[in-house]
Parts: sequence; C-alpha cells; structure tokens
Amino acid sequence: MNMHVAAWLIPALPLFAALVLALPRSERVASALTIGCSVVSFGLSIAVMCGLQMGGVLVLIAHWVEVDSLSALLLLLITLIATTAAIFSAGYIGPEHSALRTRLYYANFNLFVFSMLSIPLTVELGLVWIAVELTTLLSILLVSFSGTREALEAAWKYMVLTLLGATVAVLGVLMLFWALHVTGSTDFTWTGLRVAASVMPLALVKTAFALLLIGYGAKIGLVPLHTWLPDAHSQAPAPVCALLSGIETTVVLYVLLRLRGVFLQVPAVHVQAWFAVLGLISVGVAVLLIVQTHDFKRLFAFSTVEHMGIVLVAASFATPLGDAAAVWQILAHAVTKSFCFYAAGSALLVSGTRSIADVTGLLDKSKITAAALLVGSLAISGAPPFAVFLSELAIFRAGIVSQHYLVTGLLAAFIVIGFFGVLFHAGNMAFGRPAPGRRAWLKLPVLCGIALGIAALPVIVLGAWIPLALARLLLHSAAVLGG
Amino acid sequence: MAQSAALNLWQLAFVLGLSPLFAGIAQKCKELVASKRGPSIFQPYRDLRKLFAKDEVVSERSSWILRFTPYVVFVVPLVVTLLIPVLTDFPLFFAFVGDMLAAGFILAMSGFFFTLAAIDGGNPYGPMGASRTRMVGFLVEPVIIVVLFTVSFVADSTIPYIVQQHWVHPLANFFSASHVLLLIAFFMVILAETGRIPVDNPSGHFELAMVDESKALEFSGRSLALLKWGGYMKFTVLAIIFLNVLTAPWGLASTGTIPAMLLATVLIFVKVLVLVLLVVIVESSFAKLRLFRIQEFVGAAFIVSVTAMVMELLGL
Amino acid sequence: MSAWLYHLNALVLGLFILTAIAMVVMRQIGACMQVFVLQSLLLAASAFLLGGAPWSWHLFALGCVTIASKAVLIPWILRSMVPAQVYARREFSQSIDVSAILLSSLALLLAGYAAGIPLNAAAHSLSPANVSVGMAGLLIGLLQLAVRREAVPQILGILAMENGAFLVGIAIAPNFPLIAELAIAFDVPLLAFIVALLTRSVYQETGSTEVGSLTALRELL
Repeated sequence: MNMHVAAWLIPALPLFAALVLALPRSERVASALTIGCSVVSFGLSIAVMCGLQMGGVLVLIAHWVEVDSLSALLLLLITLIATTAAIFSAGYIGPEHSALRTRLYYANFNLFVFSMLSIPLTVELGLVWIAVELTTLLSILLVSFSGTREALEAAWKYMVLTLLGATVAVLGVLMLFWALHVTGSTDFTWTGLRVAASVMPLALVKTAFALLLIGYGAKIGLVPLHTWLPDAHSQAPAPVCALLSGIETTVVLYVLLRLRGVFLQVPAVHVQAWFAVLGLISVGVAVLLIVQTHDFKRLFAFSTVEHMGIVLVAASFATPLGDAAAVWQILAHAVTKSFCFYAAGSALLVSGTRSIADVTGLLDKSKITAAALLVGSLAISGAPPFAVFLSELAIFRAGIVSQHYLVTGLLAAFIVIGFFGVLFHAGNMAFGRPAPGRRAWLKLPVLCGIALGIAALPVIVLGAWIPLALARLLLHSAAVLGG
Repeated sequence: MAQSAALNLWQLAFVLGLSPLFAGIAQKCKELVASKRGPSIFQPYRDLRKLFAKDEVVSERSSWILRFTPYVVFVVPLVVTLLIPVLTDFPLFFAFVGDMLAAGFILAMSGFFFTLAAIDGGNPYGPMGASRTRMVGFLVEPVIIVVLFTVSFVADSTIPYIVQQHWVHPLANFFSASHVLLLIAFFMVILAETGRIPVDNPSGHFELAMVDESKALEFSGRSLALLKWGGYMKFTVLAIIFLNVLTAPWGLASTGTIPAMLLATVLIFVKVLVLVLLVVIVESSFAKLRLFRIQEFVGAAFIVSVTAMVMELLGL
Repeated sequence: MSAWLYHLNALVLGLFILTAIAMVVMRQIGACMQVFVLQSLLLAASAFLLGGAPWSWHLFALGCVTIASKAVLIPWILRSMVPAQVYARREFSQSIDVSAILLSSLALLLAGYAAGIPLNAAAHSLSPANVSVGMAGLLIGLLQLAVRREAVPQILGILAMENGAFLVGIAIAPNFPLIAELAIAFDVPLLAFIVALLTRSVYQETGSTEVGSLTALRELL
C-alpha cells in the first residue's frame, strides 16, 4: 500500500470512528468499532515504520505534516496503547453505565487518540500547540467519566493546570515565531527553527524557552507543576489512565525533546542544565512520593512523574548515547506503564478499592491480577530482565561516558529508592496478609484478562529481544533527536 | 496688571456665587431621578441666608479652633481659586504663586482644621466622623500624589495653566491612555474627597453612618453657613480643577475682554453642570459602600492612577 | 503608525489592564463575565487598530474571530449550560482580601512592564506597549486563577490569560500562520463547552460550583 495513504489513514481512522459513534450505536458496536480502528491503525503504523527503516522523512504536506523516524515511533506507541486500551475498555466499561454514556465514552476515546496522533504528525509549531491543547480538552471528560466527587475534582485540577500550561506555552510559541520572523525565515517547523536558532535575538529565545518549558512541563507533570497528575491519573478509568500516563505525557515530552534540538543551538539558554535540574527534581520528589503513597493507582502515577524526569535527564546529556537511551526509555516506559495501569485497573475491578492496605493478599483472590501487578511493578521499577532495566542502564552509561558523574549518581540513587518503594508496595499487595474484614471480591472480566495478556507481551519480550525493524527505528529516532 | 487682578476677582465671584447653585441643582436632579419633586435649585441660597440670620451657640469648653475653623474652611477654596484657571486659559496675577501641589496642600489645611474642630466641639459623633474622614483622606492621599506625579511627568509641569494646554496640543494627546485613566482616577478622588456616594451619603441623617456630615453637628448659625458654603466651593473648585486643568481647556476665555469672559462664564457653567449630572448619575446608580469597603473603592482609584503612570512609561 | 492610532491603542491597552484587574476582584459572577466580554472586545479593538496602519487582513480577521468567539459564543455557552443560580450568586469567599489582590495585581502590572523591556529592546514589534500589557494581563489572569474559588471565574481567568497572550501575539507576530485564528475560533469555544459540561457535573454532584472547596484528593501524610 502507498505509504502516504497509510500515514493519512492512521489519524483518520479514530476520527472516523468518533464521527460514526456520534450517531446512535449499541455499546457492542461502539467497542468493536473502536477496537477495529485501533488495530488497523496499529497495523498501518507498523507499515509506516517498515517504510521508514532507512531513516528519511515522509512528507505529506511540506512544512505542515511530515513523518520521520521519531514521529513513526510515537505513532507506533500511540496506536499500540490505543489498541490495548480499547480492548481493556470493552471489559472495564461494564453494563452499569448507560448506553449513551458508553457510546460517548468511546467517541471521546477515539477523539482523544486522534488528538494524540496529530502531535507527532505535525511539524509546524502552531499546529503542534493546537494538537497539545486538544489532547487536554478531549481528555477532561474522560477523566471525570465516573462522575464521583473525587473524579470531578481531579478533572478540574487537571483542566486548570494543563490549560494554564497551554496558555503559557502559546505565548512561548508566539515568541519563538517572533524570533524566527526577525531572522527573515518563515519556516516555522522543527528543522526551520533549528537552522535559524543561532541567529535569533537571545532575549526572545530565552523567554520563549522559559515559557515553553513551563507550559509543556505542566502537561508532563514536571515538579512543581505535577500536583494534578496523581489525581487525574488515579481517578480516571483504567484504560484512560493507561492512555494518559503511558502515552499522553510521552507525546508532550516528545515536543519538549524536539524543542531541545532547537534550543541546543543557542548555548546561552543552558538547555542541558535546565533539563538536568528539573529532571532530577522531578525524579527525586516522585520517588519520595512513591514511598509514602497509600493508593496503588497514585503509586503508578508518581512513577510516571519519575520516568518523565528520567527521560529529561537522559536528554540533558545531549550525546548520541544519551539520545538513544532516552528514546529507548520512552518506548519501554510507554509499554510498561500502560500495562501497569491495566493491572491496577484489574485490581480495582476485583477488589473495589484503590487503597494498598485493603488489597493485601491479592494472590489468594485473583491470581491473574496479582501476577500482573507483580510483573508490572517489577518491570516499571527497573528490575531485570525487563526493558526499563536495560534503558536505565543505557542512561547511566551515557551519563558516565559524557562525564556527568554527579547527575548520573543522583539519578541512580533516586531510581534505587523508587525501585524499593514500588516493590515494597507491590509485594504487600500480592503477598501481604489479607486485610481483615470481609470484602466482596469480583471476577475479572474476560476481555480485561485478554487485554492484560496482549499488553504483557511487549513488556516481557522487549527486555529480551527487539525486532530488527524496531531497532532500526530506534536508532534513526535517536539520530533525528540529536539532529 | 489691573485687568489681571480684575479677572481674578471675576473668577472668585464665579466660584463664590455659583457653587451653592451647583449644589442645589445636584440635589434637585437626584430627587428627580428618584421620581420625587425635590426642593428648588435655589434652596441652598435660602438655607445660607437663614443660617446667617440665626444665633450661634458655642460650647464654652471649646477653644479658639472651633471659632476659627469656619473661616478657614470658607477661605481656603477661594485661595485655591486664585491659583487655577477658572475662566481664562492664560495665566492671571496669582498663577505662578503656587502649583497643583500647593493647591492640594492648601485644601488639606481646611480638612486639618475641620478635623480638629470636630474633636474640639465635644460632640460624641464629631471625633467619629473626623477619624473616618481622616481614614478616607489617608487612602486618597497616595492616589492624588500618583495623579499629580503622572501629570507632571506627562506635561513636564505642575502649573495648572501649562498642564491644561498639554492635553489638546496636539489633539491626539486628549485620547492618550494616561490622560483618560487620570481623569477616571481623579473623578473617583473627587467622589471620595467631597463625601459623595459611594463613599459617603451627603444627604444622610443617621449620625452613626455619617462620615463627613457628623463633623459639622456642633456648629450653628453663621459658622454652619460658612462651613456649608465652604463645602460647596470645595466641590466646585475640585470640579474646575478636574474639568479645566485635567480634562481640557475648552470653553475658557483666551482674551480678557468682557464678551469673551461672559461667554466663558456661561460655557464653564455648562461644563460644571455636566460634571454635576455625572455625579448625580453615579450617586443614583450606586449604593453607599460599607465603611470597610471604602478602601476597595479608593484602591480601585489607585490602580487606575498607577495604570495611567505605567501606560505613560510604556509610551517612552 | 499615526499619533491617533497610537494613542487610541494605548487607551485600549490601559482599559485592558483595568478589566483584567476588575475580573480578579469582581464579586458578582455575572458581572465578572461581562467584564470578560469587554476585555475581549478591547483585544479585538487593539487588533483592528494595529491592523489598520500597515493594512493587515490577518489582524482584521483575528479581531473578527475574537469578537465572534469570545464576546458572543463563549458567554452564550457558559450562560446556557451552567445553571442560572450560579450567576445570581453575589458574594463568595476569595482566598485573600481585595486590597491584597489589588496590590498584587499592581506588582504584576509592574512585572509585566519590566518583562517587556528586554523583549522590546531585542526586536521590533508593531507596538511595544502591547508586549508589556499582554504579559501583565497574563500574570493577572494567573492571579485570578489562584484567588478565585468559583468555577466560572476560574475559567474566565484562564481565558483572560489567553487574552493577554494574544494581546502580545498581535503585536509581535502579525502574520502568524493560521494558528491564532484556529485556536480562537475552535479551541476556545470547545474549551468553554467542555468546561461548562464539567461545571454542570460539579454542580449536580456537589450542589455548588465552588471548586475551591474540592480538596479531597491529596497526599495522606
């Protein structure tokens, strides 16, 4: 099939599904359509990945919509997680919700996936900003889906902080355009900016950097703008959590990493120092929050903050090794974190509570759930032989090779604390003494189990073996990132 | 020289003679807006005549301040009148004796004496009103200072006759942000300083709620007449500063001939009338603020004046 | 730009600042919304004035879209979707008192002014004053977001921040490709729509729209 058509179809399919779901459909049709479109999109993403094996750029509309290796990697991740989330939703969004609400859920779900897909596809910064803003707007109602007081509070905080970030970021985008305009160029794309960056007025570039870092940083939960993240990522339905934590934060982080390439051209901005400091603060605060938390969904949400920080630190080295490690970490985190949230969602389904203390001894009650939680926790905390372990090792290596000893040392210390924090809680949940008091344990829906199985595959496989096409894609992505 | 002095006298006569009329018109309009008939617009003149004819009672425990204050309150607006362009847009005999800051200080002197007299009278409501007036005064003070600084910054002068020419040369200056914002701020200052709604209710009769009025409770006869007249003139003088110095010198006589001065008298009368109507609209459409909300009103005026200054800075 | 346009634009900017501050302290929610409409009209007016001197279709279109979206569509959405009882409410608890808010917004005004200086020195813009005032507007909107506890004023705070950002935008990027119009025409009404839905849910669930009192989610240390 023609590569261009494939690339266009990837975002078009979820949009199509959302439009179809605007008309009355039964819940079964809605979920089947969503799953179908996600699977096809995923297949098309693999096709695009194979097409871009030798690097290069797939130009759909010059200067507006282009796909390079890094974008292709993001497309692959988004469609993969959208697929598993769609399958998990089929089991998770049960018959207790009205038909209308279920249909609206799937329509919103597809629109949200569409908005995320449009971020890596667009290369014009204005459009990217609109796409990021859309991801926020289209996920607010997904976060508040359950309609409880807590979910509404979480959705409100999520909305306020991320929209605030978007507003700050739009000023940054405008500043950057002004700076580009001064140089006489009109190519407001990643590449165009990279070329013109060194001759832009310094005051404008610095201001733009500060505004963009605050704006997009709020969206990925950088400390101290992280306060909304554990709330939103714990109150939303589990499949939405997987999308939010696994991939939405990642695509915005992708925007920041692309911007890094632009600002690296201007040494006076000190991008590396800012990334390292903010990344380390985020990791440090997140691991401490992990240790003290009492809620297993918040546990994984804090872990997301931690991993965003880790990627930022890896990006702060600005070496080919560091970039490769960062890309690898993005892939490993997205795949693993979504699995973790499916496991957490399953635990919530069978036990009816989010409290760690109330689900101790899960292994006796639901073997699949307990096993999934254990595997997820091991994988996300960086235990061998999972992918996150390898990517974190690669980051340490990159840091040591580029002689950032202090940063690497602190990062390693924090990661170790996080490792024990996550495993302590996971061990409690799986093996601890069953909590006193009788609790009605439910059975895990079959579709949730299937989704868990599918999502577990890459988590387990990627630690041991990487398909050749994917390996090439990663290499080229790292090269794109480094410029 | 002689002509200049004569014109000064004309201006004094304008302020002295017409200020009760403005008060009367304001009162009448307020009543009309409230769908009442209201007293004649000449009622303030009748009140003054009546009060001048009455006996005066003064507490024997009070000091000279109580006796002296009505004269100060009466004379001070007249002194300020000498400094400002009431009817002419060219400087008169006393024009360079003092600038706008001096005018402000002289007006403050009457407030100072009035405050002391209110305490001196021994009436329990006097000190209460005095302290409330002082509170408003303290709050208004920074606004006035910022307004004056901004004016001097914009027009490079604080002499009223020079300032007024700046706003219309060129005419685009009239619409400059700093000018319009200064006008808003100063209008709010006038409302606060002359005790109008929303800061104070000039026609209130409830002593506990009074701000300005309760200070005059201990005065009677001629003293009360002088105080009232001084109050009317203070409003007129502030209105004229607002209209002629801060807004625009439109309607002022540019030569000292008698026809020109007559025309200016009429035009300035109309100008003040417009302001009086504006005050009536404000008084009729807002409620009096609670005492501790006054700071918010004056705070708003302060914000406006500082914004005026920042806008002027931005234009550089 | 002629002296007339310059002065008129400066006047619009001055009033813009006043509306921004007024929105922070307004006690009535309905009045707060009216001030927001006024502010959006001022933004449009500034776009028209800047787009007039060297004629710019772009700014003209931006002004029109701003009026249609922010002065008409958004108030309509918020009015029709959020229960009317919310707008009738008069007093509500702000986190800090009015005088402190006024003084903080003054500080933010000066901060915006200071932030504009190096930017205006670095490159030429259509109107340097727009940069400083827009920055100040953004910061004051942030203050509004921080001190208001009701849903609608908080949202208006975000929209006011956006007004500030675009006030800067029209002066520094008059030929910005499409994004501004697209954002204002589609994003902002969508935002209003979704937030109104959320506000309605909050109202149905808790019986008020005082989102500042929703504080169940936090770390249990």
